[in-house]
Amino acid sequence: MELVAGADADAFEVILERHADAAFSLAYRMCGRRSLAEDVAQESFLSLWRSATRFDRARGSVRTWTLGIVHNRAIDALRRSSVHDRRRAGDDAIERELEAPERTDVQAMSNAASEEIRVALDELPTEQRHVIELAYFGGFTHTEIASMLDTPIGTVKGRMRLGLEKLRGHLGGWQAVGA
Amino acid sequence: MSSREENRGCERSVDAAPYVLGALADAEGYRQHLGECASCRAEVAELQQVVDTLPASVPAIRAPEALRERVLATVRSEAELLKAAHSPAADAPPRAGRRRPLRVSLLGAGLAIAAAAAAAVAITVGLRSSTQVHVRTAQIAANIPGAHASLRLRSGHAELVVSGMPQPPLGDIYEVWLARSPSTVQPTDALFGVTNTGSGSVNVPGDLHGVQQVMVTREPRGGSSHPTSPPLLRVTL
Repeated sequence: MELVAGADADAFEVILERHADAAFSLAYRMCGRRSLAEDVAQESFLSLWRSATRFDRARGSVRTWTLGIVHNRAIDALRRSSVHDRRRAGDDAIERELEAPERTDVQAMSNAASEEIRVALDELPTEQRHVIELAYFGGFTHTEIASMLDTPIGTVKGRMRLGLEKLRGHLGGWQAVGA
Repeated sequence: MSSREENRGCERSVDAAPYVLGALADAEGYRQHLGECASCRAEVAELQQVVDTLPASVPAIRAPEALRERVLATVRSEAELLKAAHSPAADAPPRAGRRRPLRVSLLGAGLAIAAAAAAAVAITVGLRSSTQVHVRTAQIAANIPGAHASLRLRSGHAELVVSGMPQPPLGDIYEVWLARSPSTVQPTDALFGVTNTGSGSVNVPGDLHGVQQVMVTREPRGGSSHPTSPPLLRVTL
């Protein structure tokens, strides 16, 4: 990243190659539309390129930083879109909605850690997994989620916290993939 | 003792989980609280590690080749410009590192604002019955009198559109800032340049709730964490 901060385009290309798939996958999971996901990923990488001097390794890996930018950009895009689109993106069944040509691109992640996270999510009580997915992947605020689920705000916050704490327990010392 | 146990006494600890998930409606308020509450900071740090793993649960899809090409084309073009800026033959002097922060209160600074643009004008344009665009005109600094800028607000989305702006010197870029008070100026990752004719636009990211002004300064490429030059334009919300 030091080279990227020094405006080295070749170094940036390495970063792009290493993280483009993960960035696009997250954007697509959140946005649910290929064109919007491309816009989000493109904005994110250009933001990373132009603000690389802000990268602080002490606060996480390049991948974590990159995906954090993608997540924020996707939330901005989702909050500009209709509630209908966002509800769709927050649905954990999104993969089943992918059009046939795109399904051929879906790769089985061999990474054991990724499988571990999917299993940990699946093992959460449904109501906890649901609020986490609506928040993180759907871009909904906690007040919107409370309204959608007709559930008190305090309950929604509590489910988020319990869910994340259970995930932490499941995942043990595993942390986001560095790069 | 874990941060959860330490945190039992803080009534704001319930906001840590929605905050790290990006779902807390009043994120800015909690961010300010984090500056004062060590136990909430510890809670956020622990939960953030869990949230950082969530992207790995997503089915992997190969990024389109066209996306990579578009990004790389822009990056290589900008790298060439920067290379030229730092070459000995370039007019612009080479720049080492970031500038020192400008030690003034930006909102209180006695900026010379062009008289013609002194009064910020807010107009509302109805596009359709269900969609409205609110346009706020910017105050422009006196040293760029031909410039014009406006902030277009629509459905919670803000886009800054500029025209007649001088191109920033090679090695510099325009940066958007959000001022929540005279002493709280928050950087954004919205960095932008302008075309040969001085036109440009940039999405203003983040939550504008509680923001008093959107400002633009000229900064070294890569942006700054604190403004290093006076604002060239300000939009009062």
